[in-house]
Amino acid sequence: MTAIAAERYTGASIKRSEDPRILTGAGRYVDDVKLPGMLHAAFVRSPMAHARVLSVDASAARALPGVVAVLTGADLEAMTVPGPDALMALMGWKGPTPQFTLLATDKVRLVGDPVAVVIAGSRYLAEDGCELVEVDYDDLPPVMDAAVALDPGSPPLFANLGDNIARTHSRHEFGDVAATFANADRVLDFHIDVHRHQNVPMEGRGCVASYDAGSGVMTMYAATQSVHVTRIAVAMRLGMEQDKVRVLAGDIGGSFGLKIGASREELAVAAASRQVGRPVKWVEDRGENLTVSGQAREESFDVRAAVGDDGALLGLDVKMVVDTGSYPGMGAMVPDIMEAMLPGPYKLAALGFESTGAITNKASYVAYRGPWASETFVRERVLNLIAKDLGLDPVEIRLRNVAPRTDPPAVMITGRPLAGVTSRESLERVAQLVDFPAFRQRQAEARAHGRYLGIGVATFIEAAPGPRSPEGPSGPMGMESMRLRLTEDGIVVLFTGQMPHGQSHQTTLAQIAADEFGVPFEQVRVVVGDSDVVPFGLTGGSRSATMTGGVALHGARQLKAKVLDFAAHLMEASAQDLLITDGNVWVRGDPASAIAVSEVARRAASGQSEAGADARLEVEATFDGGEGGWSGGTHCAIVDVDIETGIVKVERYVAAEDCGALINPAVVEGQIRGGIAQGIGAVLLERSAYGEDGSFQSATFMDYLMPTACDVPRIEIEHLETVPLDADVNFRGVGEGGMIVAPPTVVNAIEDALSPFGVRIYEQHLPPARILELIAAAAPGQLTGGFAAGGRGTGVARRR
Amino acid sequence: MLAGGQSLIPLLALRLARPAVLIDINGIDELSGVSAIDGRVVIGAMTREYVAEESGTVADTVPLLAAALPLIGHEAIRSRGTIGGSLAHADPAAELPAVARALDAEFVVRGLSGERVIPAAEWFEGYLTTSRRPDELLVEVRFPAAEDDTGVSFHEVARRHGDFAIVGLATSLVLSGGVISDARLALTGVSDVPVRAAAAEELLAGERPSTELFDEAARRATADLDPPGDLHGSPGYRKTVAAAVVRRGLRAAADNAAKGSN
Amino acid sequence: MADITLRVNGATRTGSPEARKTLADFLRDDLNLTGTHVGCEHGVCGACTVILDGRAVRSCLMLAVQAAGREVTTIEGLAPDGEHGGHEGLGTLQQAMWDSHSFQCGFCTPGFVMQATAFLGDHPDADEQQIREALSGNICRCTGYQSIIDGVLLAAQRNRTLRNREPLSEERP
Repeated sequence: MTAIAAERYTGASIKRSEDPRILTGAGRYVDDVKLPGMLHAAFVRSPMAHARVLSVDASAARALPGVVAVLTGADLEAMTVPGPDALMALMGWKGPTPQFTLLATDKVRLVGDPVAVVIAGSRYLAEDGCELVEVDYDDLPPVMDAAVALDPGSPPLFANLGDNIARTHSRHEFGDVAATFANADRVLDFHIDVHRHQNVPMEGRGCVASYDAGSGVMTMYAATQSVHVTRIAVAMRLGMEQDKVRVLAGDIGGSFGLKIGASREELAVAAASRQVGRPVKWVEDRGENLTVSGQAREESFDVRAAVGDDGALLGLDVKMVVDTGSYPGMGAMVPDIMEAMLPGPYKLAALGFESTGAITNKASYVAYRGPWASETFVRERVLNLIAKDLGLDPVEIRLRNVAPRTDPPAVMITGRPLAGVTSRESLERVAQLVDFPAFRQRQAEARAHGRYLGIGVATFIEAAPGPRSPEGPSGPMGMESMRLRLTEDGIVVLFTGQMPHGQSHQTTLAQIAADEFGVPFEQVRVVVGDSDVVPFGLTGGSRSATMTGGVALHGARQLKAKVLDFAAHLMEASAQDLLITDGNVWVRGDPASAIAVSEVARRAASGQSEAGADARLEVEATFDGGEGGWSGGTHCAIVDVDIETGIVKVERYVAAEDCGALINPAVVEGQIRGGIAQGIGAVLLERSAYGEDGSFQSATFMDYLMPTACDVPRIEIEHLETVPLDADVNFRGVGEGGMIVAPPTVVNAIEDALSPFGVRIYEQHLPPARILELIAAAAPGQLTGGFAAGGRGTGVARRR
Repeated sequence: MLAGGQSLIPLLALRLARPAVLIDINGIDELSGVSAIDGRVVIGAMTREYVAEESGTVADTVPLLAAALPLIGHEAIRSRGTIGGSLAHADPAAELPAVARALDAEFVVRGLSGERVIPAAEWFEGYLTTSRRPDELLVEVRFPAAEDDTGVSFHEVARRHGDFAIVGLATSLVLSGGVISDARLALTGVSDVPVRAAAAEELLAGERPSTELFDEAARRATADLDPPGDLHGSPGYRKTVAAAVVRRGLRAAADNAAKGSN
Repeated sequence: MADITLRVNGATRTGSPEARKTLADFLRDDLNLTGTHVGCEHGVCGACTVILDGRAVRSCLMLAVQAAGREVTTIEGLAPDGEHGGHEGLGTLQQAMWDSHSFQCGFCTPGFVMQATAFLGDHPDADEQQIREALSGNICRCTGYQSIIDGVLLAAQRNRTLRNREPLSEERP
């Protein structure tokens, strides 16, 4: 059925076109951009979490040699247009909309909230200037958790809201929740917490804004996941026509959801450039990145599970509270996706879901790789807890609950059909790859020697991009566009709104187009990163493999048809009799007839063509995702928990995954491994920590710990044979899955390791101290010295 | 004073330190070098950590120092970091202060009033504070040469490879005829200075290695500890981990001695 | 401000950096060698790693003036070496990393390349665990490290082949 002609590249781990420049230091990241006359920005930032701003005195700063301008929050209000957050607007947010100024004017709402921007000859000088800006604050009580935020007695962070509700409480039911719970053999209750952690790309946020007064054009060199969304955000805030803003992006040092639209700082820098008439650069340092760029995942769940004695998960009733931080971000929208995804690939008959979002004096909740991931954490934790209660094996309970693959496909209780989902196969494959009985034996032997090994599995699906929706494509992300052109040199150029920041699109899309069109890989070029040139697009949401891969495939096919129509005139043959292979056009059965594609292109460009021949060798293609589909799989981890120190080592990690057809296996595996590393980091190392007084406690890499090469094991990846759903496009996205399913996989393994102590885990962050606390709480006196949280040691070591 | 800069320059970048003047002593060659003199190893304060790590003299004569050095950060840090700089900075979770304290190293400082020799027991005064006066420069550190039949270990628990220790233990003991003598234990990460576990050392003297002995030594070494708490662990956690570190460190040192590595 | 002269990538370079300017910023801003990246400014992430007088160092933890009279190599200065330097401008390690799909966004890459270059130079026969430990001071957010380790292992294997003139054993594609 799949009819990609002469598939030489698709499916192979073709070496990346990006790498020669990356490996030689010739990448061009935003901090590498230097423009004549360029100035540097640094921000004056609030040291307190919640305070009124009484006054801002920038006179000393302005007088410092080397400082060109200082713009306060009030200055910036006068030169910008208030408006909503670009991502919220893009996603059609209709809930509570806080009103706030671009930089803080009347109030600061988190540690690091920017109050003024200093523009100077160097970053060093700009920071010197920041130290001279005097801000008078009047302390307000910090609101540091959701419960406090939702208490009507707490001070509202945003005056226009009058409370701290980011997302109005809502409840939805699917199926007959009451009856399912009433008739269940047992009902179990859990409270599960996911902790705050964050994206932390190796390159922080930043931009160079360059306003040219003569032409009225603002050029933004950006690090962004979409040049167009950034363009729209800048134009709106600066009150400019959208075509007067041009956004350029080169190489981007990772993002994971952070760099979408334009941050308040970037908008301030753009306004500053217009004000001072010179280019202005701002690149955040690591302290800014950790403190204010954005954080994610701080969610808590009250979960009721309706369970059958045979292990059937009949229904879930979930109350979710998300701590969305201060300024608006994705947090308020995340519950909707979680609700839709919570049933996963299982036969869940009923779901009740209610959610509230709370505004607190913390960094904004931003999109972080798989923003809805906690639904998988909650579901996969709950399955294990149920299995424990019932004495069932974790693989077995999942097999019992996975929806069978039927035609037509089973439908999630929340509405989406589970078309092509291979969860059962992934569970079975993991059981083959990992010899569970042998592990249980090794585990028992290890326990006899005081070593605690554990094994955990978890299963997930992600909409990558999800099955075809009966209502058709919706929203700006529902249709993918691409312009394809055959240049006069014979290069097939793809203009895409995708903005790769590690996804290797310049390689993968070229693979597809080269195969479909019939030229060597080196004869295809992918153009990204110029809003004047590329169509609308955004890289994110695990959708580009299908959407962009698909539009590249169909677009290349359409371009080829056009080229053959033109070549038919040149070669005096019928287009149906023409082939393109290896960069040559030739008449079927007559190899001697071959003309190079480049020659055809040259002729088309020369203007000397036959009457009736369309020599414009360019197409504008769109693609709605075709039949779409799910990605998913089962992961398994084996851990070694040192119960005397709480240190956990991930000894082995196996992933059986299905992301449809693979464009480039090495790229797919890289995405999966990177996501898993972030999941391991979340469980064992990473936490965005606030004190009760609002202070931020993890503002350096000494406190926000990132996983290193000694923390992430070799990850074994099996690609499952997938279920093709579409005639042509069966590539499915894989960007977020690793990060979605790794945390429950690892936590399940840790709980298994600690099961001799009766430990049950209802949280995601398990640093060494927490491991010991859990053991002490579940089995007091078990550990040497009778460790208890914060207590003195008593008791005697018991040797086994 | 700018020595290796691996601790100071981050403070400058974070604007937590604002010296009006920085004196760069990296160019003073006389302050660098490892030599064995009179049963001691004398290490110039500006000796790079990697130089000490690669030194055969250090490996042969101060095996406890050799055991600790690879645990300091990462190779690139040890390319620039110095022995003297680390000891003068006196981070309470660093490795070298525990080594110096365990071995009763001597600190030679030179100032306007001449030269002083300060024993390790008097060098570490408090959090990032030593008894060096503001006008004095640490010029060299002297470590005693290990006796025959010495076994050593540096054992630490850290969140990740290369991180500062949550708790670490420098152990040196002599194991002769199966009997322990001259046991030296110094803990790092449990206070604002390295802590000699004197009660444990007394217990070990004259005894034969055994699990029960090491368990009791661990209990004595940690009974009176009042460790700090931070993001990486509560005081109770550090105390528990310290006990595990003492048990394991003693076992490793005893094994090291039994292998006859000296 | 002090006038300094140093050798960078084999060429004599001069500048007048402020005393407080880091070597990383000097390389990037004053010498226009933007291949060295700044990821944290406090010496933890390793993105800024360069080779100074033969040793890998964190250029964010040195002041520019400290490099006066020294020999610095940045990623732009890694010369092609060995018969495996296939692509123009790529040395054995870089080629092996290309072949191994070592990197994604590329921001951490210069630091890894310089640190691995220094490490392999001193430990050409290091095993996987030793390589992981040696690179555990460089942070990558994209890859989960396996592909980077594979690139280093492949480079070490190719270097051995060149040294020993042994026939090539089966390599990873």
